[in-house]
Order: sequence, then C-alpha cells, then structure tokens
Amino acid sequence: MSDSESVEKNGIEVSNEYVENGTNKLIVKCKFCGSKMLDKKSGTFVKQEKDLPLMQQETGKDAEVQNEKVNEFYHVENMYTFENIGFTHTVDNYKYLSCADCDAGPVGYYDMNTKHSFVALSRINHA
Amino acid sequence: MAKTYDCLFKLLLIGDSGVGKTSILFRFSEDAFNISFISTIGIDFKIRTIDLDGKKVKLQIWDTAGQERFRTITTAYYRGSMGIMLVYDVTNEKSFENIKNWIRNIEENASADVEKMILGNKCDLDAKRQVSKERGEQLAVEYQIKFVETSAKDSLNVEYAFYTLARDIKAKMEKKQEASNPPGGRSGAHQLKANEQQRKPTSWLSRCSVL
Repeated sequence: MSDSESVEKNGIEVSNEYVENGTNKLIVKCKFCGSKMLDKKSGTFVKQEKDLPLMQQETGKDAEVQNEKVNEFYHVENMYTFENIGFTHTVDNYKYLSCADCDAGPVGYYDMNTKHSFVALSRINHA
Repeated sequence: MAKTYDCLFKLLLIGDSGVGKTSILFRFSEDAFNISFISTIGIDFKIRTIDLDGKKVKLQIWDTAGQERFRTITTAYYRGSMGIMLVYDVTNEKSFENIKNWIRNIEENASADVEKMILGNKCDLDAKRQVSKERGEQLAVEYQIKFVETSAKDSLNVEYAFYTLARDIKAKMEKKQEASNPPGGRSGAHQLKANEQQRKPTSWLSRCSVL
C-alpha cells in the first residue's frame, strides 16, 4: 500500500466534492427514498476494501450471496449518531445497515466486535 | 464527538405473528424495496430521530418478529425498554384477545414503569374487520393504556403513535426528575425525599440526562 493511501485511510487531507476535513460535507440520504441517514460531518471518511452483498441479488435457486468489493466508507463510531437507519440480525458477527424507511440495503455494516458502523459511499446519496 | 441528541428511548414492538409489526417500522410499506437480502436476514432494530417539543430524541425501536411464536418475549428483550407498542390486527380476533396475554408477559418481565400503547393495526381493511374500534378502546380503558388504530399500509397514525409514546415517556421522566429534585426552596422534608430517591437503584428514567 502506498503512502498516499495510508494517509487517506486515516481520513486526513481527503477533500473532494463529498468529503471535507475527513468527514461527510453533505447529508447522507437513501438512494431510493431520500430518507436521511446521517447529518453533515457525522461520519469519518475511510478507505478499506470490504465485500458487501449486492443490494439487488439475482433471483434463482442458487442461494449463494452475491458480493461486490467496496472501498470507500463513512465510519460512524456511535450508532446513535445515525438519524434513521435499520440494523439487521447478526450474520457472522456483522449486522447490515439498511434504510429505515424503505429497507434498501445493505448500505453498510456494523461490526459487533468494535460496535462501529461503516456506510458505503457508493450505496448512498449526498444531498 | 459531542452528543448530538437530548434523549434516547428504547422501544419494543410486541404482538402476535402477522399483525404487521415489521410494517409499522416502515414509512413506505407497499412499495418497499422488496429485496431479498435484507428481508431474508430480517431487521433487528431501527434508529429513528424525532423532534419532540424542541428536543432531539433518538428512538431505538426493536422488532420482536420471529420470537413471538414462542408466545413470550424473554426478559433480556425487555431489559432497558422504556416503551412498548402492543400491536394487534383488527382483522384477527385472536391477536386482539392475546393482547391481554402480552400485557401479562410485560408485567412479569418488563420494568414496572414502562410506558405502553395499544395499536389496532390494518384498520384500512374494513371489509375483513373482526374487532371493532370500540372494543379496542374498551380494552385500553380497562388497562389504562392509550390506544389508536393504525394502518401501516396507509401510514395512518403510525407516526402519531410513536410521538405519543415518546412524549409520554419524556413526561414521565421529567416528572420523576422533578420529584427527586423539587423546584423552588428545599425544605427539610423535600431534602429527605431527594435523598431517598438517590438510594434507589438507578432506573432508566434518570438515564436520559446522563446520555
């Protein structure tokens, strides 16, 4: 891993149209119904590669869960920081995060060990 | 990070299987995102943020769906819960009759000062109705619990129900705080009362201000 990536990993010096001073510049909303999930500046931008189940699973007899690799997340230490969010039952020490209003998800995951939540930037809208 | 809310209330949804507890947790039940993955695993709880008379209140709402078939909810589930929505289905007589059993279960397992509310759900299905609104009201009077008919499908009264329950919890909490900390001059008698309160084990009622 290069140096620049490790700097990004700490949420420092990352600035783009969504991230300012390492946190989300804009409100985080559901892509589908617009439900407010996170207030501005309440998630810390982190880069980490994670497998996340697809929001639209192909239907078929094969019960295999289809995943994709996701690299960018907002890290939320305290679950009560969320405005509106759903937590699924636990699977392999993780809970998946979903929209509290329309159930779209997973938009991220919650780690049962650390009690920290991670919201995938690619699964939400900024507003 | 600084605390971004004023109060945190843990709420439970309780009632027979199929009365629509999970639907009550949605804003859009019909055109919900009908996707296999999340619904297969099931929702454990949701966090919702409401504005209650100028206070930012976080609701952590637990769906007991899937456990109700055991006819009781375990003590662990009740632990720390401050409010309980008792849900029945107006098109299902049995689910209404079972509200009494659920209340007994709550009395045996939950904190004595837990706030309760009865919801008669699916009131949009008038043609299939088996339980009249009057009977719901009667039951509520009998147990001195607030009651409202809801339709998760039409989003009727659902938000109202959560606001009402949250407001009642907040009011009870403030009343308790006042009792242990009376405003105005502190006479010896009041002081004694305050000390007595402090000796009691901390209940959830004092927790809001701590959070």
